[in-house]
Amino acid sequence: MERSSEYHDLATTLAELRPTPPPDFAAELDERVAAGFPRRSRFGRSPFSVLAARLRGLPPQRLLFATCGTALAALAVATALVASIDSGPTVVNQNIAKQSPGVRFSEEMPRLSKGSAENRAAGVGDSSGVHSSSDIQSVQATSASSQALRSTADRDVERSARIALLADPADVADDSAEVFAAVHDTDGIVLHSTTTEGEDAGARFDLLIPSAKLGDALAALSAIDEVRTRHEGTDDITAPTLATGERLRDSRARIDSLLTQLASAESETEMEAVEVELRDERRHAARLRAQLVHLHRRADFSHVSLRIETGSPASDSEGAWGVDNALGNAGHILTVAAGVTLLALAVLAPLSLLFLLAWLAHRLWLRTSRARALDA
Amino acid sequence: MNEATIAGAGTSIEAGFDFERLYRSSRDDVYAYTIGLLRDRSAAEDATAAAFERAYRKRSRFNPEKGTARAWLFGIARNAALDELRRRSRHTQLDGEPIDPASVEEGESSERRLVVAVGLTRLGTRERELISLKFFAGLSNGEIAGVLGISESNAGTKLHRAMIKLREACDGAL
Repeated sequence: MERSSEYHDLATTLAELRPTPPPDFAAELDERVAAGFPRRSRFGRSPFSVLAARLRGLPPQRLLFATCGTALAALAVATALVASIDSGPTVVNQNIAKQSPGVRFSEEMPRLSKGSAENRAAGVGDSSGVHSSSDIQSVQATSASSQALRSTADRDVERSARIALLADPADVADDSAEVFAAVHDTDGIVLHSTTTEGEDAGARFDLLIPSAKLGDALAALSAIDEVRTRHEGTDDITAPTLATGERLRDSRARIDSLLTQLASAESETEMEAVEVELRDERRHAARLRAQLVHLHRRADFSHVSLRIETGSPASDSEGAWGVDNALGNAGHILTVAAGVTLLALAVLAPLSLLFLLAWLAHRLWLRTSRARALDA
Repeated sequence: MNEATIAGAGTSIEAGFDFERLYRSSRDDVYAYTIGLLRDRSAAEDATAAAFERAYRKRSRFNPEKGTARAWLFGIARNAALDELRRRSRHTQLDGEPIDPASVEEGESSERRLVVAVGLTRLGTRERELISLKFFAGLSNGEIAGVLGISESNAGTKLHRAMIKLREACDGAL
């Protein structure tokens, strides 16, 4: 009872001791509250601190919405950028719908395989396995630096093209004949052809055109009828060509060496052993030669795939881009978006983790230092 | 309090509670709590202003489901006061005289108040904080528990111990 009374007295005294704010401070604080706590030195603050202060004031849900919205917008922009870059340089002049028949290609075509004939001399010109030392020296001289320093004109480039022409069904036969003529004019080869007349009229051609005349050939083929789409592609095969040529030269040197050994062999057994090795090496050289011929053929001749399609112009303009294309494009965009998201996650996840750890460490430090201040 | 001057702060009603009303009802309590904790008039003023500014900026984050607005405000005030305590302890010493001796009048009652004021100075910061929250700020044990992040019964026990220490300190001051 006495204790309770003491407690009561103490509480009463404490209540009497309760400090009150000085009037000037109270008035100043009232003014600041009324003004909504204006920032004291807005110009001295960095934009980041202003933004951070604004973000701190946002409720968590709105902050989450804002973050998600920003992330989605960034994803959309990145996807659009990547998709546009992705479809740019690999395909030349893709989907030139309704191109005028008279379009010329030859001026635009770079002569990428120029000089391949000279390379040929060093590689496959001699099928007998006998070659001059000057050949070897010139090849050795080029092999040291050619891999990196070959000029664009000297590179072996495999080229290919795909053209789709739009023709009236009645013109398919004439157009096909013109294709044959154009191929003949450029010393090309028709590897395969299919021509259909009637309701589903159309034609397909697989052509081999000398690369040096590819530009002229494409121009001639494009002049046959209206160009619906055209793709061109290039593949630099300089590296495998050079590597195969060097292996072939090594093999020939080995054959020379074996021939010398054979000439100086003294016993029957020794001669037989060298002959066995010589046969193997010659087979190896033949294989390399075939590979080199194939590579040079790829550089010398360009593969052209030509399609003659039919259909009314009205339906073409609408049907050129159909559901299949839409699905394909949608799939492509989704793939790009997924890739961008994955990349963003790969970058942002560790950063977010670091940020979270730093934030947690800061919170812990703040809590500890506040507790220390209380105990001090 | 000048009611006309703070009319502009009523815009925070849309954020879930009336900031202006909270300010009106708590300004003196927050000041009394911070000065009880910090024992320095200037530091208490800074901490009080900082507390209301932080509360104003974070007013949209107040969640009534987690406790009363007063408990939320005093949680912010506590952090502001402790930050002020940390900051000032690094640079300057606090005055340590929350009660102006000149304000204590003559007489038996004033003598008792002087003894209690001296007893308060002999308490540790934690005990002084509890007493300030209870008797200067007028918080209930439940609200104190919310501010300190402990249970209500624990808050009651700690407060009781703080009062015992204060009584002992007062006895020693006599």
